Amino acid sequence: MNATVTNDETPLMTKDLAALHTPAPPQEPLLQVRGVTLRYNTPEYLVTATYKVSFDLNRGDRLVLLGPSGCGKSTLLKAIGGHIRPAEGEILLHGKAITRPGTDRGMVFQEFDQLLPWKTALENIVFAIRNTRRTTRAEVVDEAGTLLKKVNLGGFEHSYPHSLSGGMKQRVAIARCLAVHSAIILMDEPFASLDALTRRKMQEDLLALWSESRFTMLFVTHSVEEALTLGSRVIILSSRPGQVSAEFDIDITAHNELSNPVLIRLRERISRILFKDAPEYSI
Amino acid sequence: MQAPSAQISLPGPAESSLNTGVPEPLPRTTKKLSATKRLFLISPVRKALLLAALAIFWQVYAEMLNNELVLPTFTSTVTAFLRSCLDGELTNNIFNSLKILCVAYSMGIVFAGLLTTLAVTTRIGTDLLELCTGMFNLLPAIALLPLALLWFGLGYASIIFVMVHSVIWPLSLNIYAGFTGVSPTLRMVGRGYGLSGPGFIFKILVPAAFPHILTGLKIGWAFSWRTLIAAELVFGTSSGGGGIGWFIFEKKNQLEIAELFSGLMAIIIIGVLVENFFFKTLENRTIQKWGMKL
Ligand SMILES: Nc1ncnc2c1ncn2[C@@H]1O[C@H](COP(=O)(O)OP(=O)(O)OP(=O)(O)O)[C@@H](O)[C@H]1O
Ligand SMILES: [Mg+2]
Repeated sequence: MNATVTNDETPLMTKDLAALHTPAPPQEPLLQVRGVTLRYNTPEYLVTATYKVSFDLNRGDRLVLLGPSGCGKSTLLKAIGGHIRPAEGEILLHGKAITRPGTDRGMVFQEFDQLLPWKTALENIVFAIRNTRRTTRAEVVDEAGTLLKKVNLGGFEHSYPHSLSGGMKQRVAIARCLAVHSAIILMDEPFASLDALTRRKMQEDLLALWSESRFTMLFVTHSVEEALTLGSRVIILSSRPGQVSAEFDIDITAHNELSNPVLIRLRERISRILFKDAPEYSI
Repeated sequence: MQAPSAQISLPGPAESSLNTGVPEPLPRTTKKLSATKRLFLISPVRKALLLAALAIFWQVYAEMLNNELVLPTFTSTVTAFLRSCLDGELTNNIFNSLKILCVAYSMGIVFAGLLTTLAVTTRIGTDLLELCTGMFNLLPAIALLPLALLWFGLGYASIIFVMVHSVIWPLSLNIYAGFTGVSPTLRMVGRGYGLSGPGFIFKILVPAAFPHILTGLKIGWAFSWRTLIAAELVFGTSSGGGGIGWFIFEKKNQLEIAELFSGLMAIIIIGVLVENFFFKTLENRTIQKWGMKL
């Protein structure tokens, strides 16, 4: 059963990924995260979410942050988004420190309440475009409609967020994020709430979109499979506080086909790192 | 075609379906209620009936009492209401009251808006708002009337002063509660589009806090409407153009008690109209439609 599914999809995946992996010339990283420590100040505690995390993100990278729940992935994305100041270290975009949020970084949040509830699905996307670019309304509406169809939500243009399911809301948020044409797209577990089939489809669509426009993407997940499917690089964060415990370049010749022996081995290695790191649970 | 036959062959006890293996037909999901029952399910209909009962009770009791100076009958109140509406006396006074109300209410909204804007943008503004609402919200508007008289003299200015006072604090409190309750995610979304300052407030905070703002508007309206009537009663003769409160005051002096009752009736009717039509419509078109009802 499993084998047939993957076999069916082999040609597509191979084609996509062959197109994706053209070696890029060395260049200054688009985003540099240097020794970043992030803390939350609550009245009672000082929570350290990440501790001295460093990595680079090159133009066109699909970098996946993989780590257990609570290791500070969302916090890190919010810091890159400019919503949280690092307590230590710095985050550079185009070589300049990030001080505030901006439209050069698009973000899909993990939370379900990220859509503006007073606007329809379509209006949410229109709002995003009109706040970031100057175009006529007709054009924007057109573009927003196309994007909604791309995330399989044709027909839901005029639905308000409260009438959409969790997964549908996330898909609107993805469409809204893509609409802005940011230099970097930050995605915080956008597919976590989708069923396996839709997730699969969304992953493929995301890769297809990527090969169209080659945006730079930082993707957070706690699924090893998803990391291997989507990433051109995977960074593994240890838990509490989050620290980089390993980094893998996914071999360009080993197309991101999960049944590929190279990826199976990689997957085992990653799982071992993740589990070694995991706290002991007792049931 | 099939439904009636299925009904006829309805198996009696539950076990029969077990024995025969024939699945028991599902109960009919829709069954028409009788017309009167359906009518009785509509809340306005029930309320109208209650209202009629109360009116009859009033009429009967007033006739038994038979003292027009204490309690005029329902019918004479309605006649007085219609008469004073038609000859323009009551309508003019209503118009005057509503005019002042609109002025004071809008001023209250503007001031509350400015105060809360200051409160969400600066820390000193936050302190100021918390301090002022904490103190002045406890001060009944009517208690300020003597002071208003001293400062502004007899006339509209004094009434408007106490009415603005009655709107501004509860409204600010609600707007501010709404603003601070806006989810961090929505804030980050707004900031992510480069919104800040007035753009951020009007495009993100105001709609996101609208359920609270609407509550504040309702409370502010109710307070200012009560304050207005009370202030007019206190100012009585000298406030110039008059108003419903003034109308009531005058009718009491002239011992036209049916007219006095018709003034009270006008106050209730206007209140009901504003609450059930204006605010209800506003609510249906906004937070109800957005699924943001508190
Ligand atoms: N607003 C906050 N105030 C205080 N502590 C917080 C806050 N948000 C997160 N934390 C803490 O920071 C740590 C990292 O949280 P974060 O949301 O970044 O985790 P995550 O890696 O995204 O987890 P998940 O995979 O479950 O989404 C956690 O220990 C959490 O308790
Ligand atoms: Mg998270």
